[in-house]
Amino acid sequence: MRSQKAADLLIPLVTLCLLVIGVLMVHSASTVLSQERFHDAFYYFKRQVLFAVLGLLSMWFMSRLDYHLLQKYSRVIVIFCFLFLVLVLVPHVGQVRGGSRAWLGIGTFGIQPSEFAKFGLLIFFSSWFSQRPDRMLFFSKGLLPPLLVMSAAVLLIMLEPDLGQSAVIAGATMILIFIAGAPMKHLWSLVGTGTLAFAGLIAAAPYRLARVLSFLDPWKYPDTIGYHIIMSLVALGQGALLGSGIGGSTQKHLYLPEPQTDFIFAILAEELGFIGAVATLLLFALLIFRGMRTAWRAPDRFGSYLAAGLVSIIAVQVMINVGVVTGLLPVTGITLPFLSYGGSSLTLMLTAVGIIMNISRQAKAG
Amino acid sequence: MRITPTKVHTRIMMVFVAFLCVFGLLVGRLVHIQVLAAHFFMAKTSDLIRRNIPVPAVRGAILDSQGETLVYTASAASIIAVPVQIKHPQQTAQKLQKIIGGTEQGIEKLLTQKAAMVYIRPRGRRLDGAKTKAIRALKLPGIYLTEEGRRTYPYGNMAAQVLGVMGGEGQGLTGIELTMNQVLSGKKGYIQFVANARGQEIPGTNDEYIPPTPGEDVELTIDRQIQQFAEREIQNVVAQYKPDHVTLIVANPKTGQVLAMANYPNYNPASWQTVQPQVYNRNLAIWQTFEPGSTFKIVTLAAALEQKKVSLTDRFYDPGYYEVAGHRIRCWKAGGHGSQSYLNVVENSCNPGFVQLGERLGKEPLFSYIKKFGFGAKTGIDLPGESKGILFPLKRVGPLELATTSFGQGVSVTPIQQVMAMSAIANGGLLLKPEIVKDLINPETKTVAKTYPSQVVRRVISSQIAAQVRSALESVVAQGTGANAFRDGYRIAGKTGTAQVAVNGRYSGTHYIVSFIGMAPANDPRLVAYVAIDYPRPNGPVFGGTIAAPVVGNVLADSLAYLGVQPSVTGLSKKYRYGIDPAMTTVPSLDNRSLNNAKRTLLESGTILRIQVVGAGNYVVAQAPKAGVKIPQGGVVRLYLGNSPLAKS
Repeated sequence: MRSQKAADLLIPLVTLCLLVIGVLMVHSASTVLSQERFHDAFYYFKRQVLFAVLGLLSMWFMSRLDYHLLQKYSRVIVIFCFLFLVLVLVPHVGQVRGGSRAWLGIGTFGIQPSEFAKFGLLIFFSSWFSQRPDRMLFFSKGLLPPLLVMSAAVLLIMLEPDLGQSAVIAGATMILIFIAGAPMKHLWSLVGTGTLAFAGLIAAAPYRLARVLSFLDPWKYPDTIGYHIIMSLVALGQGALLGSGIGGSTQKHLYLPEPQTDFIFAILAEELGFIGAVATLLLFALLIFRGMRTAWRAPDRFGSYLAAGLVSIIAVQVMINVGVVTGLLPVTGITLPFLSYGGSSLTLMLTAVGIIMNISRQAKAG
Repeated sequence: MRITPTKVHTRIMMVFVAFLCVFGLLVGRLVHIQVLAAHFFMAKTSDLIRRNIPVPAVRGAILDSQGETLVYTASAASIIAVPVQIKHPQQTAQKLQKIIGGTEQGIEKLLTQKAAMVYIRPRGRRLDGAKTKAIRALKLPGIYLTEEGRRTYPYGNMAAQVLGVMGGEGQGLTGIELTMNQVLSGKKGYIQFVANARGQEIPGTNDEYIPPTPGEDVELTIDRQIQQFAEREIQNVVAQYKPDHVTLIVANPKTGQVLAMANYPNYNPASWQTVQPQVYNRNLAIWQTFEPGSTFKIVTLAAALEQKKVSLTDRFYDPGYYEVAGHRIRCWKAGGHGSQSYLNVVENSCNPGFVQLGERLGKEPLFSYIKKFGFGAKTGIDLPGESKGILFPLKRVGPLELATTSFGQGVSVTPIQQVMAMSAIANGGLLLKPEIVKDLINPETKTVAKTYPSQVVRRVISSQIAAQVRSALESVVAQGTGANAFRDGYRIAGKTGTAQVAVNGRYSGTHYIVSFIGMAPANDPRLVAYVAIDYPRPNGPVFGGTIAAPVVGNVLADSLAYLGVQPSVTGLSKKYRYGIDPAMTTVPSLDNRSLNNAKRTLLESGTILRIQVVGAGNYVVAQAPKAGVKIPQGGVVRLYLGNSPLAKS
């Protein structure tokens, strides 16, 4: 073990704040739905508390575990990730929920291989980039291999299909490639091909096109594809500056589908208002700042890349989720870190925070 | 070149700055939605989450000019069910069934319908007070009571086409119910509740009751008493002549207010669904158009007098026809009226005389007066379904058309147009807009919310000419074709009309529309009355003078008596027609004396009258008719008996 200092305490503190807000909001947002589905207003709340406890344990554990172990096992991790991504696509093995075959089920608890793959890939790329940093200067030796790996993962996830996870993986990978020092000319050509690829993905499945259309003009399709966005915008507007108070949301009364997961920010903004919404975003910004600071001060390249990659996952998810809720992006289906209901999502996010904490603990001075 | 840690650090910084920029964008978007445009989304929310159960307002009543209620809405509650709020439809149905009857299954089926709200038809509508109370006491979730009154007609068929009928959803379909629908309806109220996406009430939110605003009462210009006189006369005509249609209008010529408007056939508005649509849809008084016949001669006369083309003392020789453009236009009287004054021409309703008046006027002036009198255009009365009639287009008017128009053929007019034209003669030359609505009354404060003042359309003729026409028309009744409208002392002036109806392009020999238009008293008319009887089937010949004139006479005399207009002695007295008119005699004063004295007085007076005693005693306290009234010889005088003279009060 290397020199053990105290971790950056702001990181767990901010995470805890977000977690508390999240658990409360999950409860407030889900009571109606829980009552409706399970005749138990606390159904989602209880499970979310359980996930939070599991996640906190995992966080604590990872903050103590030297992150270099991840580098050592990065290949194993990424292989397992791919294994699960393939496995989940097998009918009867993978469970279909909400139109996507994205869950490996154990009773009512399910894990999302794509959530694991997201982190697994970042660990793998960080390790791979840090082994020989200068190969990033070459397109075929440095840029192409991680892109191919990422594309394979995205392809598998799109087969589920899960556009949101794909977008996050692609986004976070690109950010990491940028940080790892890829030449700008390579990156620009990637942006070009990426845009084309994305357009191709959308063209391949009409419902994605519909989602894009609904995002451009939700009022045109108020009953079908524009419904989510309208309900979300209505919730935000209803919240106004100060919000309608905890429990005061009307949109959670079955207007907004799944208010406890992808649209939790809409309920938060409705009940806590603009003030609450901005405070939440500031907490995220603070967390991202401390995470990036950790990447900056990491003792080695792997730590630096890993911290930046994990923070990027959090940041990209926040940006996409809030972008969707505020009608700036098409509905993709991605959770808001620490706030949305969901076992895989929450525990893995807390685990990621634990890793970042461990990196901060080994930080260089200054 | 190498990728140094410094380069990585720079890129980490760049990424962080990019994140901050995106976050700034997100915050900006939140400012837009939650602060700047919040009111827009709040309005959307309100639309989204508030469900309204409409509560109909109590419809205003329709009153006559004296404030008598002609139509009102009797209070009755109806059940409204909001299916999504009913947790136990079966129990709810069971409880309701005990009160309103019917079958449990039937009610349950309604309660589980996929609709925002349902009425429990038919038993849950228009409930009586006890049932209403019982249901209110149950306090069943999702079951509401709403006022849904029943339109009630205390006078049955009276003025049916004027009042109009109501559709099943509480909207006026015809008549005043239609034209005044908005005023009568009032404003709906609401039971408002906050609902989730399935329309279920969100627990912990409050129902809000926004009470309805009741509709205003509409006070008509119709006078129930005069309307009843009119309808009584129509009934008599129908019993006697079995016509197809009858229409009768009484109006106040000074204000343009319609005091009575009655039609046959009529119907009871409460059960209008059982009659033919044309019966409830057509208000003949404003809808029916036909050739007016001789009543239209009033227009020609007034125009000719106003244009100084004739004086009533001018002479005219009627050989029985008048030659126009090679055609012989015949007078209704075979052989003609011979030599006569123009006053006689009017009295006799002599067609050749009027053809000459038309020729003297010329087509432009005559048609300009016809239009000034309001023909060829709607009067604008506040009733639906008015016709405007048909006039010859001026460029198609040749000598023949001019000739026939001047005695009322080849034009097509409505009864209300004729009444307003006659009113202009009656009131000194002003064409008024006919009024049917007098004012609107707030049902809660009983104060007048709006009055409908008289509206002068234009001056048509001078008051001197109007007076001349009136006196000519008085002599039509006293000494001419209108004799059967004569009522002693009431100075009725008027004009008969008999128009053949064209069937398949030819005038029918049996189908006539007989009419009479009259006003009284002639010196200062208080009333104008018009009757048109379509296809009367009498035993004798069909003339307006014999069938229609008595109707107007009766209506005017009764109405004037009702209005308290005293009979006058200054008017033209009636020319006695031997063998046609009964010999009249004046009733002597027989009251305030002993019965024997009264009998002796009657004998000594030389009048040929019979006595009928009413009551017991030997002293006459009153008599009917009163002294001075003229009644036919052989008529009855009733003497009311008592034991002593009445104490003078």
